[in-house]
Amino acid sequence: MAQKTNPKSRVHDLLGAVLGLFAAIVMATSPWQVDTSGPYPFYKGALIFPLMALGLMVMGSVPSFIRLLRPGATDSWHLDGGGLPRRPAVVLSMAVAFIIGIPMIGLEISCILFTASMLYYLGHRSPKIYVFWPLLLSGVFYLVFKYFLDVYFPTPLLLEYLGG
Amino acid sequence: MIEYMSQALVTTFTCSNITALVLGTLIGIVVGILPGLGPMVGMVVLLPFTFALPPAVALSLLLGVFCGGYFGGAVPAILMRTPGVPSSLVTSFDGFPLTQKGEAQTALSAALVGSLGGGIISVFILIFLAPALAHVAASFGPPEYFAAGLLGVVLVVMAYREKLAKGLILLGLGLWISTVGIDGPTLVPRFCFGTLAMQNGLHLVPVCLGLFGIGQTLMLVERKILVNARMSLTRRTLDFSKIAATLKYWKSLILSGVIGTFVGLLPGTGSILASFLSYETVKKVSGRAEAFGKGAPEGCLASEAGNNAVPAGAMIPLLTLGIPGDALSAVLLGVFTINGIYPGPLLLIKEPVLINTLYLSMLLINIVAFVILAIWLRPFAMVVRVSNTLLASIIMSLSLVGIYAVNTRLFDAGVALVMGTLGYILLRLEWPVVNLVMGVVLGEILEERLRESLSMSEGNPLIFLERPISLFLFVATFLIIVIPVLWDSRKARIRARNKGRDFS
Repeated sequence: MAQKTNPKSRVHDLLGAVLGLFAAIVMATSPWQVDTSGPYPFYKGALIFPLMALGLMVMGSVPSFIRLLRPGATDSWHLDGGGLPRRPAVVLSMAVAFIIGIPMIGLEISCILFTASMLYYLGHRSPKIYVFWPLLLSGVFYLVFKYFLDVYFPTPLLLEYLGG
Repeated sequence: MIEYMSQALVTTFTCSNITALVLGTLIGIVVGILPGLGPMVGMVVLLPFTFALPPAVALSLLLGVFCGGYFGGAVPAILMRTPGVPSSLVTSFDGFPLTQKGEAQTALSAALVGSLGGGIISVFILIFLAPALAHVAASFGPPEYFAAGLLGVVLVVMAYREKLAKGLILLGLGLWISTVGIDGPTLVPRFCFGTLAMQNGLHLVPVCLGLFGIGQTLMLVERKILVNARMSLTRRTLDFSKIAATLKYWKSLILSGVIGTFVGLLPGTGSILASFLSYETVKKVSGRAEAFGKGAPEGCLASEAGNNAVPAGAMIPLLTLGIPGDALSAVLLGVFTINGIYPGPLLLIKEPVLINTLYLSMLLINIVAFVILAIWLRPFAMVVRVSNTLLASIIMSLSLVGIYAVNTRLFDAGVALVMGTLGYILLRLEWPVVNLVMGVVLGEILEERLRESLSMSEGNPLIFLERPISLFLFVATFLIIVIPVLWDSRKARIRARNKGRDFS
């Protein structure tokens, strides 16, 4: 069971520094990311506002950088005792597979596989749950998105392959 | 005026609007009752479905979730001391002691009457205050809009001033995200990293749905936030005799509703402050301060009236200035802009039927939510028994398919997953995610107004200080930054002096 989040954990500084570093890199490379060769002066141009936003990020991350490089005697990496986020990471991987699965095997099969595997992984061992709910959700998605909203879903590559 | 109102009445009572309103309220109550979800998750999951709907219907659906969520949040706070929405924590101060005394019905009646009263009072304040504020805002030019937007952003950042650096980083990130894609005035691609998909920009829907829907779901998967073993309620419906008994606190109800509306009006303050301020004020004014915290129905009523007045309060700056006060109204702003409607002072003149429909829908939502919970109190309360992992699976798959359906682009679903990962990290680290959303929503407005203002003055930034309203707003922004900093340093000095005295 996770405890209360430690506001002084060095994890905060690490995240702040990573975001600040990202902003600094984007800022440094912005002349190549944004074409400013047009007729617009800088104050009307496309770069003034993004530079202000990135500047804000860099400014906000300075304390994190300092604390990360020169930690106090009592600073620790302890965050909340919850450990590494294995369950969210696995669920996230499944979600990525679900998204990739939609153009490969189609919405319905992808949805059934994703929901069933997620429910099984999260501890549901009764087939009533990990078979019934995926089938129900898949049916609801078909009705709502394909039948009523007429949303275009790509033809599954697998179906194209099997159909020749 | 009467003509617009009669047209609005017809629009409000169309079958589609009533269906959306009731459905939104039902969903809002459910997500409000479920601790760890809340109205934001409900709103963002429903967001993709609103694109196929007319603006009035879409807004009724989302406002139903917004207001319904606050109604529902009180139920687990009273019965299990687990607030469904954070602001209901204050309701549990008196609600749970009443439940322990076997008077759960009294607490629930007071909370629901408070929610209904607070909601209705705030809508009436909205109806009278919005035109007055819009009248002032009608004289606004780009510098004034920029100054007002900046004031809104600063208020949100300063609301989390104990996390100032984190708030600045997230605000900057949000503002930067809003610039990704092709720049409107110059037609130049910005920060697309050589990809074609990024040229369309990072839309509000995948960003919000990722941050709140997927991020919160990942938290749910990890933490198992829902606690459901202790829920019990003997009566199926609300005890109507108790409702009549709570009406004697009508003065507290009006006071809390007014406080809640004005707190909701200020960007960044949020419903917790509204709830807490209303509770504390009523406690002082009532003359029965000693009973509060031990099971005073008046406490439940004040807290719920305060937090349920926030949605209508937050609509005032949104409708008149186009500035959302919190993440929930930021999502509503997204619905407006996606439908080609730009909130601002002219909105009340240009779209009088839509605005009046909105007012009537908000009034109806409060009544519908009250009636639904009064009649089906126990079935709704038992919603907390639904398995959290099952909920997580449903929300995750619905979010991903819903995001894809908006633009039929798998890229958007990918954006949502990246944002979901970021949202999970930020939620776990308790960073102020609202700053990121405010940045994304207000980024476009702020950038447009800044560039317009600088174009007017040919690059001279002093334009912001040369116009009286803009100058006033800048001075207000400056004071909002400086006063809390001075206040904090004064408190620190006093603390240090007292410490020194203790040692000597």
